[in-house]
Amino acid sequence: MPEVRLREITKRYGKVIAVNGVTLTVEDQEILTLLGPSGCGKTTTLRCIAGFVIPDSGQIFIDDQDVTRIPPEKRDIGFVFQNYALWPHMTVFENLAFGLQLRRIPKAEIRQRVREVLSLVRLSGMEDRYPRQLSGGQQQRVALARALVLRPRVLLLDEPLSNLDAKLREEMRFEIRELQRQLGITAIYVTHDQAEALVLSDRIAVLNEGRLVQLGRPAEIYQHPANRFVAGFIGLSSFVEARVVAVEANAATLETEDGMRFTVPKEGGLVEEQTIVLAIRPEHVEIVDIPSEAVENLFQAEVLRAAYLGNSIDCRLRLGKWELRTLLPPGRIPSPGEKLWIHLPPEKLILVKA
Amino acid sequence: MGIKWYKTVLKALGIALIAFTVFGPVSSLILWSIAIKWYWPHVLPQEVGLAYWKQALGLQRDWAIAAVSILDAFKASIIIACIATGLTMVVSIPAAYALARLRLPLKVLFFLLFLMPKVFPQQPIFVNLLPVFTQWELAGTVQGVILVHILVCLLFGVWISTSAFKAIPEALEEAARSVGATAWQTFWRILMPLAMPGLLVSTIFVFVTSLTEFTGTFFIGLPFVTTLPMLLYSASGYNMQFASVLAIVLLVPSLLLMIVTERIFRPEFLSAVGR
Repeated sequence: MPEVRLREITKRYGKVIAVNGVTLTVEDQEILTLLGPSGCGKTTTLRCIAGFVIPDSGQIFIDDQDVTRIPPEKRDIGFVFQNYALWPHMTVFENLAFGLQLRRIPKAEIRQRVREVLSLVRLSGMEDRYPRQLSGGQQQRVALARALVLRPRVLLLDEPLSNLDAKLREEMRFEIRELQRQLGITAIYVTHDQAEALVLSDRIAVLNEGRLVQLGRPAEIYQHPANRFVAGFIGLSSFVEARVVAVEANAATLETEDGMRFTVPKEGGLVEEQTIVLAIRPEHVEIVDIPSEAVENLFQAEVLRAAYLGNSIDCRLRLGKWELRTLLPPGRIPSPGEKLWIHLPPEKLILVKA
Repeated sequence: MGIKWYKTVLKALGIALIAFTVFGPVSSLILWSIAIKWYWPHVLPQEVGLAYWKQALGLQRDWAIAAVSILDAFKASIIIACIATGLTMVVSIPAAYALARLRLPLKVLFFLLFLMPKVFPQQPIFVNLLPVFTQWELAGTVQGVILVHILVCLLFGVWISTSAFKAIPEALEEAARSVGATAWQTFWRILMPLAMPGLLVSTIFVFVTSLTEFTGTFFIGLPFVTTLPMLLYSASGYNMQFASVLAIVLLVPSLLLMIVTERIFRPEFLSAVGR
């Protein structure tokens, strides 16, 4: 079973620690995304798996085989590069056939396999074109086909869509996902684009400053971010810092420095006097017309600015000393300075460690 | 309209300047090489003929014409240039790859080594080299001259080849490794074809440098090894006709090389390399 395991991978460049003790397992036939801001170590991690970079310490297993010190050409992996890296002196056919020729596969079979994989990426009949004669999207699909034609154990993709325009990028997300499912190939995908990660992945590994911060399914990571970094990086969040003032049977009360009280569902480990961060997603802020005393987490907020986005209104509110970002349904655009009543449903509030 | 007029004049002046600097000396050379009699104040030769050409190419022997056969020197020049170019490139290509790709701790020093014969005044270097070469019994031999030519040519060989390799994105090599090519296969199947235009330019530079090399050959080779530049030197002071014939002969190989390799200077080929 082509399963990839990383054990305590560490890589330094001079004084900078690019990857710091990353341990994770990629299951067979799973697509796992390494997600994080630039410089978080995601690309270095991927390059370690490919063999382009040898980690200073730690081990990498593919299929239970220790490949840590095996050169890239013996790892049986496919790699898709950010800038495609097609060989400009070869036609599409020659680009795809190169790896097969090195494996001494008969000519007829090479032609057959190249034709199959080209139809898979919807580029049939492009065999004789040179890379420079193709559009960016087509080049990217050739790069994908070049990796797939060898039927590798693991497919590694390094920000493959970041050079494409927004519309094509969105299409290709689904296409890659579809191909990966169809072929049942184990894949590791590097991106800094959280939307891409959420769409593509079976699981997401969030990295920050060389460390693995959280590993989980997209919904898990979105709904239960492990810390403030994850809450802010995946989906938008506004943050409010508060102190736990009361813990009851199934709810807890928090109070901010400026005296606002929030009711939150009681979670394991909440203790009185503890300082905690409340992450509030824009879509969880409800605007209410008639304030009613009975509802908890009801606040009056002031509009700072509002921007029309077509299908919604991006509205920034001031709540006490905190700034809240909200997405309102289209309609009247509130003007700055206006007072609005907002309701924050307790069950939607996310608590993360301070 | 004013600007257009101004631009046209400037362009015409530019073209005239280029034409004059390129074709002026060449046409003067051609004229001198066929002048039998040309005294001041005549603008054109009084008497023209191919006597100097015939004599130089060994087709006639006339004691009245001050020119010797250049055939032996021509042969020596071509043989020395070919061997020196071959050996220089054999050293330059791996060295350039190493300079372009590997993280060598003494990279700067290494590079300086190749620069040395060019950045310092040449005469003292070769004067000091002479005793060493004499000791090694290389002075006055073809081998010695080839060695000196390699020293002088390495700079162009290594420098231009290094930039040829540097222009190739590393991802192209990594892509080859990822589909199963060894480092060796990657070098021959990916890097060499992509670097070829740059390497050819480098080879031309090296060949022409060796063909026209003077100082080193003068100190190490004379009086036993005579190349075309040596003949040109001895003729240039007193015999304009013979010197012009030699100069034109020296131009021919370079021009031929330019024509043969013209393909690599085509923009679409060069731009393909950049991708």
